[in-house]
Amino acid sequence: MITEYVRLEVRRTLRDTGFAIGTVAVPVMMYLLFTNLGGQNEEAWRTASMVGMAAYGALGAALSVGPGVAEDKSSGWLRQLRITPMTPRQVVTGRALTGSVVVLPAIVGVLLAGGLVNGVHLAAWQWAAVSLTLWLGSLPFTLLGIGNGYRLTAQTTGVVNIACNLGLAVLGGLWFPVSLFPGWLRSLSAYTPTNRFAELGVSIADGHAPAAAALAVVAVWAALFGAYATVSYRRSAKTA
Amino acid sequence: MKNETAVAFTGVTRHFGPVRAVDGIDLTIRRGETVALLGRNGAGKSTTIGLLLGLDEPDGGEVRLFGDTPARAVAAGRTGAMLQDGRPVPRVTVRELVTFVARTYPEPLPVAEALALAGLTELAGRRVDRLSGGQVQRVRFAVALAGNPELIVLDEPTAALDVEAREAFWDSMRGYARRGNTVLFSTHYLEEADAHADRIVVIDSGRVLADGTGEELKRAAGGSLVAFDLAGGPSEGLDLLPGVTSLEIRGDRARLHTDDSDATVRALAERDAIRGLEVAPVSLNDAFLALTARAPGAHTRPLETTR
Repeated sequence: MITEYVRLEVRRTLRDTGFAIGTVAVPVMMYLLFTNLGGQNEEAWRTASMVGMAAYGALGAALSVGPGVAEDKSSGWLRQLRITPMTPRQVVTGRALTGSVVVLPAIVGVLLAGGLVNGVHLAAWQWAAVSLTLWLGSLPFTLLGIGNGYRLTAQTTGVVNIACNLGLAVLGGLWFPVSLFPGWLRSLSAYTPTNRFAELGVSIADGHAPAAAALAVVAVWAALFGAYATVSYRRSAKTA
Repeated sequence: MKNETAVAFTGVTRHFGPVRAVDGIDLTIRRGETVALLGRNGAGKSTTIGLLLGLDEPDGGEVRLFGDTPARAVAAGRTGAMLQDGRPVPRVTVRELVTFVARTYPEPLPVAEALALAGLTELAGRRVDRLSGGQVQRVRFAVALAGNPELIVLDEPTAALDVEAREAFWDSMRGYARRGNTVLFSTHYLEEADAHADRIVVIDSGRVLADGTGEELKRAAGGSLVAFDLAGGPSEGLDLLPGVTSLEIRGDRARLHTDDSDATVRALAERDAIRGLEVAPVSLNDAFLALTARAPGAHTRPLETTR
């Protein structure tokens, strides 16, 4: 039942041209631009930026679940789902799974650009491990998106989404390396989910295991966003 | 033994602040019946349907579907519904949508059959958000019946349909009811209720005012209408004539609702008040107006007027 639901929602998401451009085309183009301008094209930056931009694409795709949920709320689709035999829990789980499927094109797109266009060299296991890490690590952002979608109206979700997306991306150093930040911002950045999310991928690309601190920060944010999603969902179930 | 009751409301109330949207409804629908919920806009039809489907919880009383709570009956796939509000789901085709809904039910209709019943075979590959209003309404109907539920609930199913689409819709609905399914639909069109339901439940101000066949409602409202020209004569005492249940004066013409037209006409003849005399069976429209005017809280709009 959930598989059918996920299939339907994934189709709906991928048919959205705005989604394809915003979460796949933009990160790929930004990656190619940032790594081929101004002589910043040494191998280490090409690799780190690849992971950062893949993380940025995954972030955008995961958060896009939010406006999707808000749209479904206002269009009456969520009400219609409530009178099918699917339980509310299955619907939310299906949405979260949808989020984890639709992040894949962004991750794969940027990694392909890195490998094929920018000539990033990694061992086969590293490619696999980086992809897997970015994929699993995007879960907190899916939960954040779901929380926004259930809590807010369609319009405000759009705005909050962009704020979360750009704020977390820039602050987390997905666009520019944190080494360019002033000291205080750099220490703040270390506590963002996006910074640690990318760090997981970068350490694997560098050939060593991710730091326990990075894992811990991502896990704490996952728990927080999970609680936010649960509370928002419960609240909306009462009113919708 | 099989439970023969599909829907049971017992003293159900639902208030929104000071508004009593549903104000003590008792209603039983047997399996296989086609029932119309008839009322004006704002009479409480949609709230009643929301309570029935478990989309909303009653403040008082109890709702049962097939002897179980609405939530459990819905989870078991025994109901399907076509809700009034809402826009079509974007970016799916008709077939994808109907297939998905069908698969959430334990024993669905074959998708091709659901599409055919709703008259959507030709449109199966089209995207739902690119259909006309009437076509979308058919998609909603297909979604309601895709799971082959025992009870199907339709909230104002023909709103926004043109005459031709409406006829086609009722044909489909009858086809579904004929398989032994229970159908509940709400409407504010009297003719629809009369033509397509076995039984009409009239609701107003959140209460059930009448419950029966179209014929029974007409009889309950006073079987016939006797009208004549007053020709300047007095209107006092007309409502006390034999058989008369209510009186209405329109200009110079008196209209008497009566449950014994023979006695009423004889009495009028004695008063020599027979100019332009006309005896007609009450229309369902008159019956509806008479019923809702008698409702408690409706004193502001009496049918009886004396000038």
